[in-house]
Amino acid sequence: ATSLYSRKYLLAFLVKASAFQTTVPTNRAFSRTSNIMSETTKPTLPSEYVVPDVWTFDDPSSSNQPTAGARKEMKLKRGEHDLQLYSLATPNGMKINMLLEELNDLKGIEYDAYKIAFSDLDQFGSDFVAINPNSKIPAMLDTSMDPPLRLFESGSILKYVAEKYDAFIPTDPRDKVEVFNWLFWQVGGAPYIGGGFGHFYKFAPVHIEYAINKFSMETKRQLDVLDKHLEGKTFVVGEQYTIADIAIWPWIMCTIKFYGGKDFLGIDSYKNLMKWYNMIDERPATKRAFRITGFTPDAIAERHSKEDLM
Amino acid sequence: GSFTANKKLNKSSLIFRAGVQFSSTTDKEEAMLEKPEKPSFPPNYTPPKVWTFEEQEGLMGGMNRPTAGARFEKELQKGAHDIQLYSLGTPNGMKVTILLEELVDLIPDFEYDAWKIAIFDLDQFSSGFVDINPNSKIPAMLDTSMDPPLRVFESGNILRYLAEKYQNFLPSDPRKRTETFNWLFWNMASAPFLGGGFGHFYNYAPVNIKYAIDRYTMETKRQLDVLDKQLEGKVYLIGDEITIADFAIWPWMLCIEKFYKADEFLQLESYKNVKR
Repeated sequence: ATSLYSRKYLLAFLVKASAFQTTVPTNRAFSRTSNIMSETTKPTLPSEYVVPDVWTFDDPSSSNQPTAGARKEMKLKRGEHDLQLYSLATPNGMKINMLLEELNDLKGIEYDAYKIAFSDLDQFGSDFVAINPNSKIPAMLDTSMDPPLRLFESGSILKYVAEKYDAFIPTDPRDKVEVFNWLFWQVGGAPYIGGGFGHFYKFAPVHIEYAINKFSMETKRQLDVLDKHLEGKTFVVGEQYTIADIAIWPWIMCTIKFYGGKDFLGIDSYKNLMKWYNMIDERPATKRAFRITGFTPDAIAERHSKEDLM
Repeated sequence: GSFTANKKLNKSSLIFRAGVQFSSTTDKEEAMLEKPEKPSFPPNYTPPKVWTFEEQEGLMGGMNRPTAGARFEKELQKGAHDIQLYSLGTPNGMKVTILLEELVDLIPDFEYDAWKIAIFDLDQFSSGFVDINPNSKIPAMLDTSMDPPLRVFESGNILRYLAEKYQNFLPSDPRKRTETFNWLFWNMASAPFLGGGFGHFYNYAPVNIKYAIDRYTMETKRQLDVLDKQLEGKVYLIGDEITIADFAIWPWMLCIEKFYKADEFLQLESYKNVKR
């Protein structure tokens, strides 16, 4: 049987690795046609596949497209509170739900939340695209500003909201930097857990060993980074619950509950991680967060006040 | 085609896995077991119940591990300036060196020390480096003007930290500042699909997998379109002033062209505002 990982690729990697210089390669540099490993000798899946010179795509019925922008006219609702959240309780959406519910517990902050239904392609509605041209949830408006201020990317929203209400970010300058170390770590790492591991292990229509191995390895590596960091700690930073914890937690939850990663990735072996995970799982705000624009039987599509969750 | 469905179920392996839940197989459970497996590549591959590590071949594959932490004892070098940068000229490394060199141009007497972390020599797994960045990635930084020195990791956070410390390339106007962070975070979460997704499967993987190439090419082109539309009528990402959002995004555009040689494949020219 043909091995995927033949030693002849070592030479190709060595030649390609030279592209990672500390200076930008010159024009002469590395050309695909001068590659020792020519394209036709790489195995392919499917076997008759040849990488085209120019990639094309023509399937208007696909919800995934290589283009951005609005696909339909659609007005979004707006409530009375400062913050208007347009979202879904996916892992990234959960981050914001958790923070806002914590602020509700801590300071009585209220906000409006509206569900963006992917099944209806609401993320490509004109109002939504004006808030987030990337057409992803979560997205937010701060209507206390005129005109309202748009926020997109869960990391940006966590930072903004925590700073606005002066909570869940440490005041100590060293701890604050450390929170942002881990917040940025999370947003850069999650794509490999979600778009990588979750996709190829659970959702892709074909089980591709190479991809599953690659992203399983990376996901476990991240879990180990976290587990080692949490040694002797209660929270990710300092002795307080911060947006670093809030950003990281939903993706661990997703890996365990939705991707079926608990056994496959041996998550119970990460003792510090599981202890931290279980602790946050118990917080009342976490439990409510699942329901807001969520998928559970007790989910609510809109949230306007604490009463909506009772 | 070559998508060979596993028509012959490895029934014994299914029963083994199902055995965790069921004590005996009833008719109903038997019916469940008869569900066809997904097609797989290679054709005889089935995901195991528990993933186990096998060292990959190849220069880059060979260094990857599912574990973190230091692999050998070695201290980092340190210079005299406040900012100590430990990095490499990859796209994420370039974000920070661009900002630092801009600061050198802008601020009299501003200097910094930069040290190369040769990732192919596994420098990122030295004890000294892991203390600064437990994730073992570049760029990573120390601000030695603080005592003890303050560690900063993740390119996005280093950009944020330096821009705030030196009061440049981050607007003070709250609206523009927020928008800068929207796009900075956008870059941090988008680049993994461009790099670890598209770049990997188009350029580096030892096998050309159509499914993966299509998936990540679609996403990369989508991102380019997002950018191109945002840049319509603007000089810089957020308007008339250059910010850390531009510094974050630019090196990845360079990477598409110079490292991945994918400008023709992605029709980079068609994104006029991005090219400009």
